[in-house]
Amino acid sequence: MNITLNKNSIASLILAITVGAIIFRITPVHVTKNITVIISKNRVSITDIHQKRDIISTRKVSLDHVDLYYKGKFGHPKLGNIAKASDDFFLDIDQTFKVMQDGTYEFLVGSDDGFTLVINGKKICEHTHDRPYSIQSCNIFLKGGSHRLQASYFQGFGNSGFTLQYQTNGKTYWFGDDSPNLRLD
Amino acid sequence: MNQKIKFVKPYLYPFLVLVISFAVYFPYYGAPQSMFWDENYHIASAQKHIDGVMYMEPHPPLGKMLMALGEVVFGGNEKIDKSKMLVTDYLTGTDTPANLRFTGYRWPSTVMMAASVLFFFGILHRITGIPWLAAAFSSLMIFDNALVMHARAAMLEGIQLFFILAATYYFVRIATDWINSKRTILLKHYAILGLLVGLAISVKVNAFILLLLFAALFCIEHWPAIQKWQWLLLAKQLMTRVPVSIGCIALVFFSIFYIHIGMGKNMKQDRTYKASADYQQRIHDGNTWSLSTFAIGMRDNWKYMSEYAEGVPKLDYCKPDENGSYALGWPFGARTISYRWSKDVVDGETNIYWNYLIGNPIIWFSVVIGIILSSSLILGRFVYQTPIKDSALFGWISLFTGLYLSYMIAILQIERVMYLYHYFIPLIFGALNLSLILTYIFRSELISLHRHTLINLCVYIGLIIAIFAFFSPFTYSLGLTEDGFNLRNWFQFWHLRPVY
Repeated sequence: MNITLNKNSIASLILAITVGAIIFRITPVHVTKNITVIISKNRVSITDIHQKRDIISTRKVSLDHVDLYYKGKFGHPKLGNIAKASDDFFLDIDQTFKVMQDGTYEFLVGSDDGFTLVINGKKICEHTHDRPYSIQSCNIFLKGGSHRLQASYFQGFGNSGFTLQYQTNGKTYWFGDDSPNLRLD
Repeated sequence: MNQKIKFVKPYLYPFLVLVISFAVYFPYYGAPQSMFWDENYHIASAQKHIDGVMYMEPHPPLGKMLMALGEVVFGGNEKIDKSKMLVTDYLTGTDTPANLRFTGYRWPSTVMMAASVLFFFGILHRITGIPWLAAAFSSLMIFDNALVMHARAAMLEGIQLFFILAATYYFVRIATDWINSKRTILLKHYAILGLLVGLAISVKVNAFILLLLFAALFCIEHWPAIQKWQWLLLAKQLMTRVPVSIGCIALVFFSIFYIHIGMGKNMKQDRTYKASADYQQRIHDGNTWSLSTFAIGMRDNWKYMSEYAEGVPKLDYCKPDENGSYALGWPFGARTISYRWSKDVVDGETNIYWNYLIGNPIIWFSVVIGIILSSSLILGRFVYQTPIKDSALFGWISLFTGLYLSYMIAILQIERVMYLYHYFIPLIFGALNLSLILTYIFRSELISLHRHTLINLCVYIGLIIAIFAFFSPFTYSLGLTEDGFNLRNWFQFWHLRPVY
């Protein structure tokens, strides 16, 4: 194919670059929608995970996995700050999952500030007040079959972040990613 | 049958352009069902015309008069008590009568702006002589989000742009008649142009830029004499053309004020504005239509306008809610203005319904590129003596580039805060210039219907329409999620501000 450089081909090139740049700019960032979290903005300051909520607005966000600590702040590596707020919000997860093999499972919860983790209606660990980002290990014996995980997190003021992982067979996975022994329903 | 086709053919393109324009301007007409930006002022003023209440305003009264006319003819608010609108200049939500519809007040701006595309088409058709090309480039005016959003409200700019384009079209018509057919330019042409320019100025005084059209018309008419430096002849001609032109502008301007003053037959409460005791007494006596009352009323109105202008604040970027912007940023769309928003939350998802003043970036950036290209062409001609392949088209490009740059230079001298919509006038000149510079570059290909050129043109027009549609949630107040908002937040200098 013989392409000659003239004013028409230059105009076509400019149009193609413009269209390409626009498509690149307006294509939404995409992640696999494995898990849904609900983020609730509170009207007043939050200092305790159990304090009475006074919600202004809520939003549902679908994520690939619960990795919401990015560059020292609450945020997904691809989606950014999904809370669209820096202070005073709750995040809730209510997710069922299937365990393939009986055993003790270790959940690693990282939070800045507080959180609670409940599995099958039983609270297995929590940090009720504010703190810098720290990871807490929470163990539970699970039989093969379906289970329900409920996690709540709050951000009060300042730095923030929330992560949820689990370990099985000596390997660490993000909650949301399937492994040979655990997968989401 | 052939005769019929021959008769219909010249009207086909303008009809098509007009239909598309109305199809763009009228969806969701009347929404939002509440006022925003300067509507709070203009609707209150328009109602005072209807009820014969004297008022003074920083802008000349023609725009508000037409809004009042729209309300009388199409309003449908006859049974509503609008008395509170007469005792304020800024109608707040609490003072707004319940169930008041705004369709009548918004009618003139919407219809006139939608119809003015005919003048845009006519200007390009007259200059290029290619109707389908003029129709294609009319997309630059039809599909601009900022123009559509702003003009669908009870604002002055849509009305003013109609008169500006009407005056420009008339000027182009006289000039092309002279250039192509050597049809003599007469004093009556200056007079009619003066009347049209006068109408534009009677809406907003920044239409004074159109005075340059008279200078251009004079140059076109007397070009041989100018080239030969026949100063005596030129001076003689100026002695007649200047008074006729200025006289007609003044005739329209003062006639509008005469009607405005005459209609102000009563005053409400203590709302005397800058009315002198004499003027107030004449209103009290019901003597508002006499020439002596006009003289006093005009003086008092003028005083009000000049004192108001002195009191307008300067641009202050340190103010966190500053909506004003510096003129040099306008060509790139800076700064956008959030006129109004409302929100609802459905199933945890927040939707915002915006009326956001944001231009179609393809059009706005293309206009800048057009100005750069035409300025280069003009400089090349005069600095490097570059040969000109079409002297008539070069002349038109020089004119519209000159109008664009003159407006921008003039506006940069103004210290008071200005807003993005003050760029609409040069945007229109710039869009005309862009159409002409592209025609200049691709003229032979366009005439010979070169396939590659036509494909490029179709892609360009398609891109304009697609981007208009993409930004249309800001134009028609359609719901947007935050993600949707962020997808449209292309540049930081636009200052799009989310409210989630």
